[in-house]
Amino acid sequence: MTPARTAPTPAEIRERLAALRRESGGLQLEAVARVLDGWSQAGSPWRARLERELPAATGFSPAVVREGLELALAGWSGDALRELAELEMPGGQREGDSGVAGVLLAGSLPMPSILSLLAPLATGRAVLAKCASRDPVTPHVVARSLRDTAPELAARLQVVDFRGDDAERVAALCEADIVVATGADETVARVRGRRVLRHGHGLSVAALGPEACPAAELALDVALWDQLGCLSPVAVYAQDADAVAEALAKALEQLETRLPRGSVDAHAATLARNERDEAELRGVPVHTGNTWTVVCERDARPRPAPLHRFVRVHPASGVDALAAALAPLAPHLAGVALAGFGPETPRAVDAAIGLGASRVCPPGRLQAPPLAWPRDGIGVLSSQTRPASIEITY
Amino acid sequence: MSVEAEILAWMREPLWGSDDERFDALARALFAQQFERCPPYRGFCERRGRTPQSIASWREIPPVPTGAFKEVALRCFPAERTVHTFRTSGTSTQVRGELHLDTLEFYEASLLPSFARFLLPDLAEARILVLAPSPSEVGDSSLSHMFAVAIRELGSQGSGFFVEQGELQLDALRRAADTQEPLLVCGTAFAFVHLLDSAVKLELPPSARVMETGGFKGRSRTLQRTELYLALEGQLGVPVERIVNQYGMTELASQFHDSVLLEPGGPRRKLGPPWTRVRLVDPENDEECEEGTIVVYDLANTGSVLAVRTADLARRVAGGFEVLGREPGAEARGCSIAADELLG
Repeated sequence: MTPARTAPTPAEIRERLAALRRESGGLQLEAVARVLDGWSQAGSPWRARLERELPAATGFSPAVVREGLELALAGWSGDALRELAELEMPGGQREGDSGVAGVLLAGSLPMPSILSLLAPLATGRAVLAKCASRDPVTPHVVARSLRDTAPELAARLQVVDFRGDDAERVAALCEADIVVATGADETVARVRGRRVLRHGHGLSVAALGPEACPAAELALDVALWDQLGCLSPVAVYAQDADAVAEALAKALEQLETRLPRGSVDAHAATLARNERDEAELRGVPVHTGNTWTVVCERDARPRPAPLHRFVRVHPASGVDALAAALAPLAPHLAGVALAGFGPETPRAVDAAIGLGASRVCPPGRLQAPPLAWPRDGIGVLSSQTRPASIEITY
Repeated sequence: MSVEAEILAWMREPLWGSDDERFDALARALFAQQFERCPPYRGFCERRGRTPQSIASWREIPPVPTGAFKEVALRCFPAERTVHTFRTSGTSTQVRGELHLDTLEFYEASLLPSFARFLLPDLAEARILVLAPSPSEVGDSSLSHMFAVAIRELGSQGSGFFVEQGELQLDALRRAADTQEPLLVCGTAFAFVHLLDSAVKLELPPSARVMETGGFKGRSRTLQRTELYLALEGQLGVPVERIVNQYGMTELASQFHDSVLLEPGGPRRKLGPPWTRVRLVDPENDEECEEGTIVVYDLANTGSVLAVRTADLARRVAGGFEVLGREPGAEARGCSIAADELLG
């Protein structure tokens, strides 16, 4: 079971930072690689524990947790970490960084939390993490996996729990050497620290060229984590929006049994209902099932995203129309699933990246980012290390 | 007698009685009219298989979501007969909801008795000090219009607006509040937050009361409602039990108020005039429940649509309701962390 929540005082948080600082230092790539190998195994006990405990804590259905973890963790191995280190810290000549990363977690998806905790550890930092209010489970399971697989790192991760609006405690935690803050834009903007890595809210879309209609893959991207991740597509842009909307609706219907949607709070359900009714009032085609909605829009104008398997399909023909349609989303664009652009694919990829997307992939792969995914354009490991100009050879 | 005339007659009756039969008859008659005269609404109802002939009760009248007022001109009269358009708040780049009116008569006929009953139950008039801009500054604000009508009909000398160009007029407010006359200070919640931040201490007479309305998150700083009320009590000397929250919105002609002045000592809950009804429903299946989405049926909405589904949640309390939180909107959402209050 997850340990009972503790709420240390601000002074205790500062004491913990000091103690963790003493534990930090030395590159820990191999230890974290062992941990990742453990997580990526099919019989991983920590995965099993997340599968058991996350549904009750987060509201996701057990099938979504199981399949979401399986897909996402498949590529998160020790070797992937070594490759990432080679990519972001070429030569590996550094001895690692010391100091503490204060990690403010948010949301209900386990994958970003796992990486937010392991990445600083790999570079030598210790971690003091505050649980997300909607996922009190994952950080404790990560801590357990350290104790089991890399006991030398166990003392380097501490998990605390307090209310997110507790400004004094948040400020104390932000006295860490580096802060990783995840949350709504306005809240992460308020985080102050020596060095702050901010992950505000993000969204993803799918863009389909002529004749492409990978409905089953799109439905998987939508259904996994119930659209609550920043790599979940909230909209699809397609030349034949009507046909894509219809096919996507069928695919979502088919997925309902295999990947049931989780619980939805009353506010979110109200929002989804209102958006659905509003679309019907506008007279655009609306496809609905018990737990999903596909709205076939008549223009590319961005509209509210109620999440929880609510997708809008917009018309957009060609790369230029796609770029124009995505432009208003640029500040929040995280991922784009692309298909069917043929020889125009490089231009489409460039357009997506130019608008700020940090992940471009085929439909069906949005929810399986590689370990090296530079979320929000921020390097996974390099962001944790102290930048320096070194002009001596050693 | 037309349905509008019957509704107006009800609004002008001095005694309020909750007459379910009368409400049902008028709501169904008004629905039939709106179904006939508002093509987008008719299409919406037909897709649900709801027509004036098919419904057995006002409860079956399909509500339109508040967001629809941003997208569709929900009017039951020719556009050229529009005499006034109220718009929801928002920046110039945001799409704003619009309520088109061919008359202000129902709007005013509904607001005045509610204002008097819930805010001045013991008074014929009061000095009404409004912490909001006047209609001359924001002509499309239903809130400012409401305050202007209240001042015109129920305000004594010295009543007025005390926000100009977004600034609280503190000196003028202090002078106007320096009275032994009955006093009502009303305004938006975020204007009250600004007043608190200014640290201006007003010496209000014992009969003073406060009415606040609207959201305030993200405007200056965020306070929980109880925190706001306690701070107002401390700074203005108005006890919490004399502070009334008004629940209203541009899309509705009628408003709901806390019961605390009308029924001192009773449980605080929202009550509305008899020409309104509120259903709390499960948003996924429309089943009525004790805690759910607020759906308002307002006979004063003669020129638009009488049934409106809000984005707010409430729970039933002693014949009224308690609002559980107002949904700020989903425009910027895109992943779950957007809804996660990291710092509150």
